[in-house]
Amino acid sequence: MNKTKPLTVRVSRYDPATDDAPRYETYTVDANEGARVLHVLHAIHDDLDPSLSYRYCCGSGQCGSCAVRVNGEPALACMKEAEDGMTVEPLNLPVIKDLTVDLAPLLDRLAAPATAADAQLPTKEEIEAIKPLRDCIECLSCVSECPAIKVAEFLGPTHMRQEMRIALDPRCTDDRIEKAIEEGLFTCTTCQRCVQVCPKEIRTPGKAIEKLREIANRKGLTLPRHVEVANLVRDTGRSVVRTEATFLEQVPEVIEPDAPVRGEVGFFVGCMYNGRVPQNALDMIEVMKRNGIRVIVPHDQVCCGSPLIRTGQTWVLEALKKKNIAAFESRGIATVMTMCAGCGSTLKNDYDTPFEVKDVSEILTEYGIEPPAKLDLRATYHDPCHLLRGQGISAQPRELLRMAVKEFVEMPNQCCGAGGGVRSGLPEEAAALGKLRDEEIRKTGAEIVVTICPFCEFHISENTDRPVKNICSVLLEGYREKDRRKGH
Amino acid sequence: MHADDVVRCHVLVIGSGGAGARAAVEAAAYGETVMISKTLIGKGGCTTMAEGGYNAVLRELDGCPMHVEDTLRGGAFLNDTALVDALVTEAPARMADLVRWGAVFDVTDDGQVAQRPFGGQRFPRTCYAGDRTGHEMMMTLAERLRASPVEHLQEMTVIELLRDGDRVSGAVALDRRGEMVVICADATVLATGGGTQVYDISTNSAAGTGDGYALGYRAGAELVDMEMVQFHPTGAVYPYDARGRLITEAVRGEGGILVNAAGERFMHRYDPDRMELSTRDVVARAIATEVLEGRGTVHGGVYLDVTHLSPETIEERLPIMLEQFLQFGVDIRTQPMEVAPTAHHLMGGLRITPEATTTIPGLFACGEVTGGVHGANRLGGNALADTQVFGKRAGESAGRAPVRAHSVDIAQVDAQYDRLDAFFEGTAPPSTITDRLKLAMWRDAGIFRTGAGLRSLAATLTELSAEKPKASGPANLLECCTVENMLVLSSLIVSGALLRRESRGAHVRTDLETAWPPEASPFGHTYQSIRGKGIEGVRP
Ligand SMILES: Cc1cc2nc3c(=O)[nH]c(=O)nc-3n(C[C@H](O)[C@H](O)[C@H](O)COP(=O)(O)OP(=O)(O)OC[C@H]3O[C@@H](n4cnc5c(N)ncnc54)[C@H](O)[C@@H]3O)c2cc1C
Ligand code: SF4
Ligand code: SF4
Ligand code: FES
Repeated sequence: MNKTKPLTVRVSRYDPATDDAPRYETYTVDANEGARVLHVLHAIHDDLDPSLSYRYCCGSGQCGSCAVRVNGEPALACMKEAEDGMTVEPLNLPVIKDLTVDLAPLLDRLAAPATAADAQLPTKEEIEAIKPLRDCIECLSCVSECPAIKVAEFLGPTHMRQEMRIALDPRCTDDRIEKAIEEGLFTCTTCQRCVQVCPKEIRTPGKAIEKLREIANRKGLTLPRHVEVANLVRDTGRSVVRTEATFLEQVPEVIEPDAPVRGEVGFFVGCMYNGRVPQNALDMIEVMKRNGIRVIVPHDQVCCGSPLIRTGQTWVLEALKKKNIAAFESRGIATVMTMCAGCGSTLKNDYDTPFEVKDVSEILTEYGIEPPAKLDLRATYHDPCHLLRGQGISAQPRELLRMAVKEFVEMPNQCCGAGGGVRSGLPEEAAALGKLRDEEIRKTGAEIVVTICPFCEFHISENTDRPVKNICSVLLEGYREKDRRKGH
Repeated sequence: MHADDVVRCHVLVIGSGGAGARAAVEAAAYGETVMISKTLIGKGGCTTMAEGGYNAVLRELDGCPMHVEDTLRGGAFLNDTALVDALVTEAPARMADLVRWGAVFDVTDDGQVAQRPFGGQRFPRTCYAGDRTGHEMMMTLAERLRASPVEHLQEMTVIELLRDGDRVSGAVALDRRGEMVVICADATVLATGGGTQVYDISTNSAAGTGDGYALGYRAGAELVDMEMVQFHPTGAVYPYDARGRLITEAVRGEGGILVNAAGERFMHRYDPDRMELSTRDVVARAIATEVLEGRGTVHGGVYLDVTHLSPETIEERLPIMLEQFLQFGVDIRTQPMEVAPTAHHLMGGLRITPEATTTIPGLFACGEVTGGVHGANRLGGNALADTQVFGKRAGESAGRAPVRAHSVDIAQVDAQYDRLDAFFEGTAPPSTITDRLKLAMWRDAGIFRTGAGLRSLAATLTELSAEKPKASGPANLLECCTVENMLVLSSLIVSGALLRRESRGAHVRTDLETAWPPEASPFGHTYQSIRGKGIEGVRP
């Protein structure tokens, strides 16, 4: 009844006391049908090599002892199904031995709440608010992957989760917000990597970090640069200062395509493409024109509010939301297209819109585009956090890019450091993360870096010597090249 | 052995589960307290895994006498009434402690701790935090301990208790690398939890190897009712490697029904009044009988079905079950679960007084490692309450113990070095011994037992005990000690089962007629220590 099959796996072995560096060992074991990674580790330990060290206890996803990386991604060994050919490595944390990492020092730093001696039972509403933050099994997968920790003084996502759990609990008497700031509250780029790897799907950036930043804001503890941005939004409806003619100033409300009309979208431009890098948005318009997509650009749209939400300054938010929704709804627009990953993620996740919101890469791949000429370049793609994790979009930009360049090379994904107000608030941290991106870019040997987020474009280009381009600009170049080759 | 390898403290707590952590919180008020555990706090033992809930009398309509009676009836009247009284009367106050310290239990609309029905109880008195109740308790206790002066030695495993004359005076432990650590204490609290890992199919965490029973036994303590092993009726049957994983009783509490492969809701044939909410022993035997008589599923279980509940109810009340089954490819909102009994809890253990003293001076005990509280069958929800009530009592009693001069008996430490050295000369990889042990225990000391089966099992245990566990390196010494502990525990279970010539609660001897209802049984506790064993009461 119970079938077994042979599995060959690669396991990282390392004893810091005796080895200079980790090495991989390959093992083949007989695994039962449905075996988890943990059962494969048991088989290796019991039958092949008793010196293999790994941690586990409950075997049912409840204790958080067993997190490892399987094919590079954190997973609970006891829950993740074993696969032939998989590679098992420790989390990116200090290794004690093999797959066992040093959790205790990090766990010790989770905040301990002080409760009043006569603390009363919270109400149902209060309990329900805390519960989602309480599902954490302290596996520290999130901490092991957080980019901010690599370059800044930051305890970690789950430590912020714990701070918010305390802040929400009426029984906890001490005001810990300054502590949370000391622990690195403002260093988080809101890249959502912690959510992606959390086995309990805890939404720490949205449910804890941004909320703690709101508390900090009410106490007047917001970073000065962030306050400036909020004031600018309040006064101008925009989060960047006007330095040149804006996108909205340069285009009419309705932009008819050159080709026969195949579709129509409303365009939510966002502050960066409007005021800082309008050329990229103008390039996008050319691509739309060529592909028969009518673009409607309401001129009364304003900042989406993302810079305010991420930094905990939500007091102007409602007015912005109202204005933006009305701008598109009043024109009867069914699909709103964003080009800025941050705006897209905000409209999709923080707004309740009467229209559908799609990223430009979704629009272009759904309609299908005229193939551009392939540029004679080796290109790599940087996944913007708010596109990859905020909107779950990774295939579409690659599909487009493959059409536009001769060679496409992947690089490991990591936040560039531009998000979450870190670029403005903690520029040194942002630059350090940007440098880490540059290192990966160099490894790929790519001649250009392509992405679809104005913050990433701007920030990465400051930290690398390769040109950083928006996907629409690359497509447009491809069309121009095509025309040139045709001898137009 | 260097003098600086010795840790000295007033109270040593062994185990950081619900009972140990609660004991340490309490003991810290009396003097320097060290808590040592095999695992990281919150990451080991069974408290973290407890899903269903915590029993406490909190409502006007409920009452302590009713909770006492339910507990005694569930326990087939083998419980120590003084222990039951302490459990029931203090469970609410210990619940209040947790709430005061910040525990996030579910709350009703009118602002009371929410309670759900659990098997064998006439009032819905099981408090819960979704289906992660034990985890919530552990997080709360860990938060409390982080703010306390308790020193925590994590991932260090006690391999033997130290004695000073007839007193327990501390312990010898091994760290992760197999280095020895000696701890001297005025008082020692044993809170090492349960041990159903000696069975092939078990709900317990990997730490549930029964170390504490063996440590206590070897140090001279008396244990009672070791034959009383609770088989939880609903363990997972698939995938094979995750067999035994608990399907919480809350599934039945929330309305889940049991159906055999023929589609029949069979509980009416076993307990028509309480049906699925009957006590665990009854439901476990019912499922085992269905399977034995050929009405089981291909995986050797029966169906547990909640598809008649709304998806929202399932998502809100049973989120962990939903998530776990989804990972194994079953959506319990639309598909039934497959379940079969699994070894869950040891009701027997060290004999304690209501003050949590054991039969040897200097040693206190609390939690699953103790016996007498739950009699012959534990009610769901009573074990978590047990950890808090007796954890506090043990911490307090240990804290109050007089301060003494510590001296380490080098001979005892040397004996441990000799024991460990021998493992390097061993011949049998530990897992080969435990694999055989688990299968033999499941076959002959399981839900249905016979004298002949138990005697042949005893012979197997003797054989296995003669094998020499082999340590390939220092880090494997611990596994060898664990095998020894598992063998001691198994022998205690088997001799208890042979001593008890009746069926009672979780203990069923199919080769004997039991001519009395449990309340009229002529027998009391079985008891075992290195000085001897027997059964209380007179042979009829
Ligand atoms: C899956 C599951 C679900 C359950 N659900 C419920 C429920 O809903 N309600 C209920 O009332 N009961 C439930 N129980 C039973 C209950 O959880 C346990 O009886 C109780 O939690 C035991 O607590 P404890 O503190 O005695 O031991 P544990 O929580 O098991 O802790 C034991 C501790 O001892 C340590 N330890 C063990 N050996 C050594 C050693 N040699 N040296 C050092 N440290 C050692 C371990 O590392 C651990 O820290 C459940 C049990 C299981 C397995
Ligand atoms: S969102 Fe990114 S930077 Fe922020 S805590 Fe999570 S992983 Fe770290
Ligand atoms: S938040 Fe998630 S990933 Fe982080 S420690 Fe908790 S359970 Fe693990
Ligand atoms: S062993 Fe507990 S979560 Fe995997």
